[in-house]
Amino acid sequence: MSAERTLRLVWFVTWFNVRMLLASEFFILTTFISPLIFATLAFFLFQSGGGTAGQTLLYVALGAGMMGVWSTTLFGCGGAIAWQRWEGTLELLVNAPSRYDFILVGQTFGAVVLGFYGIVATLAWGVLLFGMPIQATYPLILPLSLAAAIISLGSLGMLIATTFVLYRHANALGNLLEYPIWLIAGLLVPVATLPIWVRPLSWLLAPTWGMEAIRGAATGPEPPFFAILMCFVLAVVYYAAARVTLVFVLAKARRDATLSLQ
Amino acid sequence: MTALAAPIAPIAPGTLRSAWRVFWYGGRMSYGMLFNWARPSIYIPTLIGGPTFQLLFFAALGSYATDRSPAYFAIGNAVQVSALAGVFGMTMAIANERWFGTLPAILATPANRVALFAGRFMPFVLNGLLVSLYAFGLGIVFLGVRLAPGSLAVAGLALLVTVFSCTAIGALQGAVSLRLRDGLFGANLVTMSILLFCGVNIPVAELPGWMQVIGNLLPFTHGLEAVRQAADGAGLEQVGGLIGIEALVGVAYASAAFALFVYLERSARANATLDVR
Repeated sequence: MSAERTLRLVWFVTWFNVRMLLASEFFILTTFISPLIFATLAFFLFQSGGGTAGQTLLYVALGAGMMGVWSTTLFGCGGAIAWQRWEGTLELLVNAPSRYDFILVGQTFGAVVLGFYGIVATLAWGVLLFGMPIQATYPLILPLSLAAAIISLGSLGMLIATTFVLYRHANALGNLLEYPIWLIAGLLVPVATLPIWVRPLSWLLAPTWGMEAIRGAATGPEPPFFAILMCFVLAVVYYAAARVTLVFVLAKARRDATLSLQ
Repeated sequence: MTALAAPIAPIAPGTLRSAWRVFWYGGRMSYGMLFNWARPSIYIPTLIGGPTFQLLFFAALGSYATDRSPAYFAIGNAVQVSALAGVFGMTMAIANERWFGTLPAILATPANRVALFAGRFMPFVLNGLLVSLYAFGLGIVFLGVRLAPGSLAVAGLALLVTVFSCTAIGALQGAVSLRLRDGLFGANLVTMSILLFCGVNIPVAELPGWMQVIGNLLPFTHGLEAVRQAADGAGLEQVGGLIGIEALVGVAYASAAFALFVYLERSARANATLDVR
């Protein structure tokens, strides 16, 4: 496949998946409502502790927004292959001339892109209800930080999609992994305040570096180049791992004749 | 031979015995057959793993953002996690009748509707208690939760009543779901609202007035306050009023749920929409 065709395929599937997710009440809740509820909760908590400075509110809004991004990524990608099975399209997609991993890339990016609406929503929420100032220390680096975060989370989403399919009840894994990543990735609580053994785990997670890249550009004392670099490095590692897993999963499904079975 | 000697004695549908059977066996069967999470591969990640990390997350966040101890947040969330079983469970126990195609058969029977409806509560209240007690255990071991030994019974009573009222709002959501495409949307919204409005992480007194009004109309607010006070040693004379209000809130939600269920049944019969999705 030419690069142009590949890009067109990924773009089309991304957009298609965004529209599919927008038709789901669950994803409306996860993407549009849940980040606002958690942002409000966090705003009140920090206000209760006296943290009313603009920087604190921005820290909270970005963190709560990224919580929504993670939830949408987790649930949107965790069930990606399983949904194709339920809908009866998995066999068609796997056997189509287009590479299946590119279709999956588009599907996971669709979930991540939709999830990033959560950050916009929580920022607007913070400005309107809590008088939060909108500022960015490095406004020119912010788009790069966002792009890096989207790419790394998209790749992580692909890894999630290919590994969760091995577990019969992928949504249950989603229920399990929402809170721990919110915690370990330091979205609202700095990783430095957690036990020391948690830190290496947080370094392996895209949300940690994505959050650091965005926060660094918005409120950081210096440009977050290292975090941006880590996002891209992790994206490559996740994609490679996802590709290997996908080849294994599809080969196993073909060998056992279980491609369309639950 | 034995079977012939003892023919099956039909039970008249209007009798108390029949209502009891519908309540007892129907309730138990609803848990096993309609509650999607009643299998280890879903139950453990969702109702054991999820609450574990919820407790740890809010204990870390709360103690970082405020000057309160992790135990404060652990108690609030240990009570709130019962909503996962109560709200989601009851929603599934009622709404899944439609999705699994058993609703018309259920409504075609002359079974006592009160018994049919009330029987659904029992397993989900017990399940909610189990999840909540597990979370309390976690809080005691890892997050410094301490319960005054003299008030354990009072705390237990407050918890039981709170779990009942949360199951009642789940029943209302279940009845509403009989008309919705996705019933779990409302169940998610209810559990998130409880986190925000009911003093689970932020004391109700610190919320704006309009949020306090909503909090007072929702389950959990009074029951959770009773559990908190009982954990500090308050007796029944101090928290009895709170427990009573929580029970009233629960009964009000259960009554509203039953009334809605009956209304929707009649409406569905009249409009021939019993099984329409």
